[in-house]
Formats: sequence, structure tokens, C-alpha cells
Amino acid sequence: MSRSDEGIEAIGLRRQFKDVEAVAGIDLRVLPGEIYGFLGPNGAGKSTTVHMLTTLLPPSGGRATVAGFDVAKQGSQVRAAIGAALQEAALDPFLTGAEHLRLQASLHGIRGDERKRLIGRLLDRVGLTSAGNRKVRAYSGGMKRRLDLALALIHDPSILFLDEPTTGLDPQSRTALWDEVGRLARDEGVTVFLTTQYLEEADVLADRVGIIDHGRIVAEGTPSQLKAQIGKPTVEVVPESPDELERLRELLRRFGAETAARPGAFAVQLDGHGALPEVVRALDTENLRAAQINLHEPSLDDVFLAKTGRTLEGAEEE
Amino acid sequence: MRRTTDVALGLAHRQVTVLFKNPSLFIPPMLFPLMNFMAFAGGLSRLRHVPGFDFHGGYTAFQFVFVLLQSAAFGGVFAGFGIARDFERGFARRLLVSAPQRSGIIAGYAIAALVRWAMIAVVLTCVALVAGMKIGGNGVDLFGLYGLAIIFNQVGLLWAAGVAMRFRSVQAGPLMQTPVFMALFLAPVYVPLDLLSGWIHAVARLNPLTFILEAGRGFIQGEPTQVALAFGLAVALLVIFAVWARTGLRAAENAG
Repeated sequence: MSRSDEGIEAIGLRRQFKDVEAVAGIDLRVLPGEIYGFLGPNGAGKSTTVHMLTTLLPPSGGRATVAGFDVAKQGSQVRAAIGAALQEAALDPFLTGAEHLRLQASLHGIRGDERKRLIGRLLDRVGLTSAGNRKVRAYSGGMKRRLDLALALIHDPSILFLDEPTTGLDPQSRTALWDEVGRLARDEGVTVFLTTQYLEEADVLADRVGIIDHGRIVAEGTPSQLKAQIGKPTVEVVPESPDELERLRELLRRFGAETAARPGAFAVQLDGHGALPEVVRALDTENLRAAQINLHEPSLDDVFLAKTGRTLEGAEEE
Repeated sequence: MRRTTDVALGLAHRQVTVLFKNPSLFIPPMLFPLMNFMAFAGGLSRLRHVPGFDFHGGYTAFQFVFVLLQSAAFGGVFAGFGIARDFERGFARRLLVSAPQRSGIIAGYAIAALVRWAMIAVVLTCVALVAGMKIGGNGVDLFGLYGLAIIFNQVGLLWAAGVAMRFRSVQAGPLMQTPVFMALFLAPVYVPLDLLSGWIHAVARLNPLTFILEAGRGFIQGEPTQVALAFGLAVALLVIFAVWARTGLRAAENAG
């Protein structure tokens, strides 16, 4: 299948469940070949948005196109163009991994030798060759996630939806999945729409990030753009001798405004990126020995805090 | 069209694979009609001596037709349980998001229900023949009998699919089987229609299944009766419940 020249576009997309507006009119555009991270706490509207974009749920209002097809009117064309690994890896405990792939291939009209070849290739790609003929009820959470990804890829989709793909995975499985998703976008030009509640995941993987809260996109941009919008890096220095703290203060004030620091340390918010080497050079020139130098870059959590007044972790408990 | 067929065949293959791997899904629907057949055809065989019992093919054949149709209907209903289970476990969501043509989903379940019932029908027919069932009808008559049963199997499946897709839970199981059970037993099960009396006679006369059952019994004794009416009613039920199942699928699509 040739890659679609169209990505994902939503204009005023809404979804109402009785009195609750789960998605309150979102606008977004994901370019072909881009990894778009959709970041937000539980209940923010991430999965509802994915369900609408993958034709699992009809929108209550607004409009969205995926691979150039209208999700409300051209559902079958949308489903033919996309692969989706949803939040719960919905697998049949009585089927083996290979049998799942066989079913998925059949649903997309892939038959015979081509189907066999693809099943073998995908099992190999997600590291499940030896487990391919085992029933999935014996699979670990990580194996189920990897199989889910293979299922989403069987028909070579141009757009891939991953709804919290690494939730519940151990760090090793998470990194492996990140590598594979990155490779798909980089080497195969697959457009990836990824929802996550993990800041690190969005930061590492996404070309652009949309932050959703209470059904609305509150910020959008590349991770570095978003972080630059809300703040600058902070450098905190602990002098080797506590008596040097006053001299350290005078020196660091040349690089930015004072900010909160631990006892026995002094910190400033740097005026510009790349100022850290200058700080280190200045310390050396002034013969001021530091026991510790910490650089704190603004995180996406800081962005979330700035845009919503809450941290992402705190928002999840609401 | 090809996409619908691809989806239907893929899903049917999965259903049959799961069936063979899981005897608990396969054996009860097989035993249920066999036990009914043995109980009805054996224990009640003296009913054929009741004055006015005008069926000439023997009581075993008389009961076989009922049990065959019952197994067909319940074969469809049991397949509906599988649909409800798929929704409850989230597997149906995979099908909904993956199948380019969703109408193939109903067709896939329908094919699987037919395959499952076909195996039951073969065993049931063999047991009936071993039990001495007399067949008066020719090949065309038998084709008519099994044709009616096939339609009945699909009617049962489409009814149960409609319920399963609206409720999306196996807790809807009683709702799938009770109306079918009632409809079957409000037909002339043990004796011909003319021997029934009172309210049961009045209800059975209006029950469309009565005409299908009587036509089936006519086929097996080689004296086809009310064939056009029976097939007309069966096809009408098929169309009605196909619409019921399709709107059920739409309800499931809207629910996400």
C-alpha cells in the first residue's frame, strides 16, 4: 500500500455522552509521517478522540478526516487505511498469536502465501516467533502489547493509532516499543497518533505534542517549543565550601534571575539556552569549586502545570 | 463485496477454530438436541397410537423434525452467546476497528453458526437413522427439510445477534433463548396440530413455526404440505431478523 499523502485533520470535533462533554471541540492537524503525541491525564478525552478518529465512535459534532477520508461518512475507507492498537489489547485467549494475525490479515483481504509470509515476518519483527503458536492467555502484558502492534501493522497501514501503548509495560518492553514506533515513522513514513499519559514517552517519541485537558487542547507544538513557551532552564550550584555561597551568588546572578534552591545551594533561571558552559567557565575563572551542578530543563509537566494550573500526576487523581 | 466476504470468512474461521479448541462451547449444544430426541422420540413414542394421530412416518421421524429445527434455532442462539462474549471481552471492538466492511461481521458469525449446526445435524441424523427413523421423502423432500432448518438456524442467529449487539453482555443470554424456546414449544411438538385443543391449539394455529414444522414433517414422510407458505414465512423471518441484527450492529457502532 502506498503511503497516504493525507494525515489526520479534526475541526471542532466533539463527543457528548448524555450530560458529559468528553471532547469539547478540538482542532488538530497531523502531517503525513509525523508522530503526534496526545498527552493528558485519565479522563481528559484522549481515548474518546481516538475512538472517533478510528470510526469506533461517531462524533456528536465537528468534522474529522483520516488519510483524506471523512470518519463519519467514509468509515470503511478509513478502517482500510489505518492500524489501531487500542488501550486494552483485546485478544481472544483461545487463539494463538499466529491465529490472531491470520484473522487480522483475513479481515483486510490478505490471503494465501502472502498472509503466511506476513505472519512470519511480523511475529519475527515483534519478537514473538517462538511464542507464535502459543495461546495468548499464556502471554505476558508486554507480549500482548507487541502482538497488538503486529496486528495493527498487518495490512501496512499509512496511519497508526496507538492508545496508551506502553501502559503497564516494564521499562525494557517500553523502550523496545518506542524503538519500533520511531522506526516505523522514520523508515516507513507511517503517521503515528499516540496517546499517552507519560511525559517521557511524548518527549522522546513525538515530533509534536497536543496537550488535552477536560476535552480541549490546551497547548500544541514540538516538545521543545512547548517547553520554551513556559520557561527557561534552571542551573543550581552547590559550592564545595559553604563559605563560598555569597561569592557564588554574585557570580550566578550574571547569568539570570535568582530562583528557589535547596539549602546550601544557589540557583538561577538562565537567560538563554546553552549558557551552562559559560557558567562552568566562569566558576573556573573565579576559582570557585562546585560540589554539584544541576541543570533542570523545563518538562512537559511544567507545560501542563502552566496551561492548566495542575500537574499531570495530580490531574489524574481528579 | 469482496471485502465483506473477506471479513465474513476470516471471522467464521476464527469462530470455528475457537469452537474446536473449547469443548465446553461445542459439546452442550451437541448433547442438548440428542437428549431431547431420545427423550421425546423414545419416551413418548406411544403417542402415535392416539386416535387421530395421522402422521404415517413413525414417531421417531415425527420428533426428529422438531428436534432438527430446535437444534438449528438453538445453534444460532448459542452463537449469539459468543457474540455477546466478544463484546463483553472487548474483542468485538477489534473487529469493529479492523473490518473495513462491518456487515461482514454478522455474515461471519452466521457462517460459523451454520458450520457448527451442520455438525450437530449430521450427528443427530445418524443417531435418528440408527434409532430406526423411517424416511418416506425423496432427495428433493430432504433438501426441503434441511433447507428449512438452515433458514431456521440463520433466523435464530440473527435474532440472538441483534440482542447481543444491543446489550453487549452475556447477561442478555436469557433474552436470546427464552423467546425462541417459547415459540418452539407453542408449536405442535408432541402431536399433530389437530390433536391439540384449547388455548394451545389457538396459539399454535397462529404460530408461524407451526407451518414450518408441519412442512418439515410433510417432507420427511414424503407428503409435502404447505411448502410455499412455510418457506415464505421462513424467508420473511430471515429478512425481519436480518434487519434486527443490522440495526443491532448499528447500535453497537453508536455505543463505541
